[in-house]
Amino acid sequence: MPRYRLLVNGRRHDVETEEDTSLLWVLRESLGLTGPKYGCGVGVCGACTSHVDGEAHRPCVVTAAESEGRHVTTIEGLSPRGQHAVQRAWRELDVAQCGYCQPGQIMAAAALLAREPDPDDDAIAAALRDNVCRCGTYPRILAAVRHAAGLLREAR
Amino acid sequence: MISRRTFLHGAGAGALVIAIPVPALAATGELAPTVLVRVDRHGRITATAPRPDIGQGVRTVVALLVAEELAVGADDVRVEQAPGDTDRFGSQAVANSTSTRQLHEPLRRAAAAARCLLVTAAALRWRVPAGECTAVDGEVCHPRRGRLPYRALVADAAAIDPADVPVTLTPPHQWRLLGRTTSGRVDTADIVAGRARYGLDTRPPGALVAVVARPPWLGAKPDTVDDRATRALPGVLDVFPLTSPGEGQGGIAVLARTTHQALRGRDALRVTWRAGTPAADSRQWLADLEAALPAQGRPSGPQRTYRLPLLAHAPMEPMNATADVRPNAAIVWAPTQDPGSLRTALAQQLALPPASIRVEATLAGGAFGRRIEPDAVLEAVACSTRAGAPVSVLWTRDDDTRHDSYRPMSVHRLTAVTDDSGLPVRRSHEVVTWPLTVVPPFADPAVIRASGDHFPYSVPGDVTITVQPAPLRTGFWRAVYAGQFGYAEECFLSELGTRAGLDQVQLRRRLLPADSRLRRVLDHAAARAHWSRHPAPGTGRGVACHLDYGSAIAVVAVADAASRRVLRVHVAVDVGVALHPSGVRAQVEGCVLDAVSTVLGAQVTVRSGSVVESSFSDYTWARIDQTPDIDVTVVSSGADIGGLGELAYPPAAAAIASALAAATGTDVTGMPFGSDVG
Ligand code: FES
Ligand code: FES
Repeated sequence: MPRYRLLVNGRRHDVETEEDTSLLWVLRESLGLTGPKYGCGVGVCGACTSHVDGEAHRPCVVTAAESEGRHVTTIEGLSPRGQHAVQRAWRELDVAQCGYCQPGQIMAAAALLAREPDPDDDAIAAALRDNVCRCGTYPRILAAVRHAAGLLREAR
Repeated sequence: MISRRTFLHGAGAGALVIAIPVPALAATGELAPTVLVRVDRHGRITATAPRPDIGQGVRTVVALLVAEELAVGADDVRVEQAPGDTDRFGSQAVANSTSTRQLHEPLRRAAAAARCLLVTAAALRWRVPAGECTAVDGEVCHPRRGRLPYRALVADAAAIDPADVPVTLTPPHQWRLLGRTTSGRVDTADIVAGRARYGLDTRPPGALVAVVARPPWLGAKPDTVDDRATRALPGVLDVFPLTSPGEGQGGIAVLARTTHQALRGRDALRVTWRAGTPAADSRQWLADLEAALPAQGRPSGPQRTYRLPLLAHAPMEPMNATADVRPNAAIVWAPTQDPGSLRTALAQQLALPPASIRVEATLAGGAFGRRIEPDAVLEAVACSTRAGAPVSVLWTRDDDTRHDSYRPMSVHRLTAVTDDSGLPVRRSHEVVTWPLTVVPPFADPAVIRASGDHFPYSVPGDVTITVQPAPLRTGFWRAVYAGQFGYAEECFLSELGTRAGLDQVQLRRRLLPADSRLRRVLDHAAARAHWSRHPAPGTGRGVACHLDYGSAIAVVAVADAASRRVLRVHVAVDVGVALHPSGVRAQVEGCVLDAVSTVLGAQVTVRSGSVVESSFSDYTWARIDQTPDIDVTVVSSGADIGGLGELAYPPAAAAIASALAAATGTDVTGMPFGSDVG
């Protein structure tokens, strides 16, 4: 089996896996990073959303081979102690119901705020419209992204 | 010397005093009034959540109840998830919105008993009446003697005969945590850091992965299996038929070292299938249901027939389970709604005593009724038994959507006799539907009626239920039959109101008893929605009420004609006493989004024997850009605590459909609004 050199959450990993293995299973099973969730495996739910070179991507439709030489960040690597403004906003507004979609929602929101610090509701909705929350936490997600934007503004 | 009993009685002045029989204390030097609460030698408090958390927040409510009674912060209580064990924990089923209703009292009493014992221990040490001592922030305090932390009192408290100590519950007006809007979900820090563990995150050392090639059409059985290509793939260890355990459909299992290898192995299988119903079509099913409506009675008044589709549960975390079966014991990790019954079922399947089976309920990424069923767990157990190793069974999203136990289709014919003003004075509701095949009692029309018919208005009438054989698996779906019955009833009432030119809120008020909880929440919701003002041009409004699980709710929805969007939803809900208001709101919000999703288009259809939808790309659940503003008013009536998890779905769906009807001038004829059904 081929070997791949991956850079995940700032650490180098050598993984041996079939060349068509999706990055999601590499993260979850080879590296034990279970923060990115399996929700569909075909790129339509967003539960696995992570960052590749700082942008939101879906590891379930990216292979390990394609991820070589890129900086991959999972929810575990977003901040050392869960203190990213988006994570704080999620806690303060008690967003989660079952919580299963939330790592993906948070990673999508963090990527949005990194490129657009003050998004309006339409921009938030556009960035998150392909992240499904089956529990219906959308009203709180909207409020939490706005709140996170505020926290980031204060920090600047 | 004053007996403990005597001076303890002083403690209850003005407070509610309940002497409960407190079972044996732990011999470990811990204070453990019941299986639900422990205070260890270091003063650390552990509460046991007897029921799993599927997103309804029961773990948070458990922490709040125990923290309140033990006078500590919610963060000071560690919540442990109970394994499946009905002998110790009673029913552990997350069903019928009963978790808070059935748990709040035993939990409060257990924690209050621990507090009273700690206070007693301090009073004895200080030689003061217990009534002069109070528990504050993890310490017992006395105005002159100072304070003692719980950890200094645990051993003494554990040695006191609890029969001597009456238990006083903290009265609601003294609550610091319960009923406060500020308390968040206990697992939230883990969730936002990606540390929370769900079923799919459980992988014991050495665990293998199985995926199952499931029937391509309903009821199909494997005929020939060519697994040579599969077995030649790296990591594939075994291929074997999985006979349907219980109600599941089984198929051909592929066992491999990793999920990727199992999935590739399944792709490479060549299976031919036989039998089943390869021509089944959900449009035909709907026609068959409609044809089974009873012959028309005397024509009497306005009438409308509503057609409702199949719905899938589609929890965000697909079905899965992990099992480690040994010769004389077994451990199972599963996102389940009922670990207790699961253990009983496994004991039967494995012919082992229940005590040698451990069922660990993980967090569940949603459930909505689906995880009452043991099917995925039975599959994992069968695979682990064969493999002689721990095995995780994964249902892909496609498996989960296309092999669900669906909400049944139904046809509802509603007829009313109205008075001169157009107000209904008699009603008739004729239903044709299927049973819940995975819950046999739900084939009985009386049971279906008890689940579905909660018509709250003072209009006498008849409900007739015809049950047809189900052509596929059906099961509990949030609100169960009330989701269908309540939707049809409220949509019809709105249509009667529209026909007669009546105000929808006034119409309902006139049909509800004055001073009823339902009328009060209706008034609240109407006020929040500024009902007395005219709706903005191009918008329409709908209203619906529901009474169930000991709770009352009213919903007003506002929809936009041009975009067909739901703009706002105002909800007023009375659950008696809201212990965790943020959680109450969350459950209402979830039900409203279920309503938006199902009224605006999500349905399951069957063509050529197969479920067409396979993921969130075609099972069109609502997205963030479809979310309305949701305004929830929690009304406290002080009535007994009612259930909530499912309450808001039926009225939210009806209010939203009626709002769309009012906005667009199109009648509601079923669900989804304005779409073909089936
Ligand atoms: S699991 Fe990757 S988008 Fe659904
Ligand atoms: S919180 Fe359950 S899917 Fe989003």
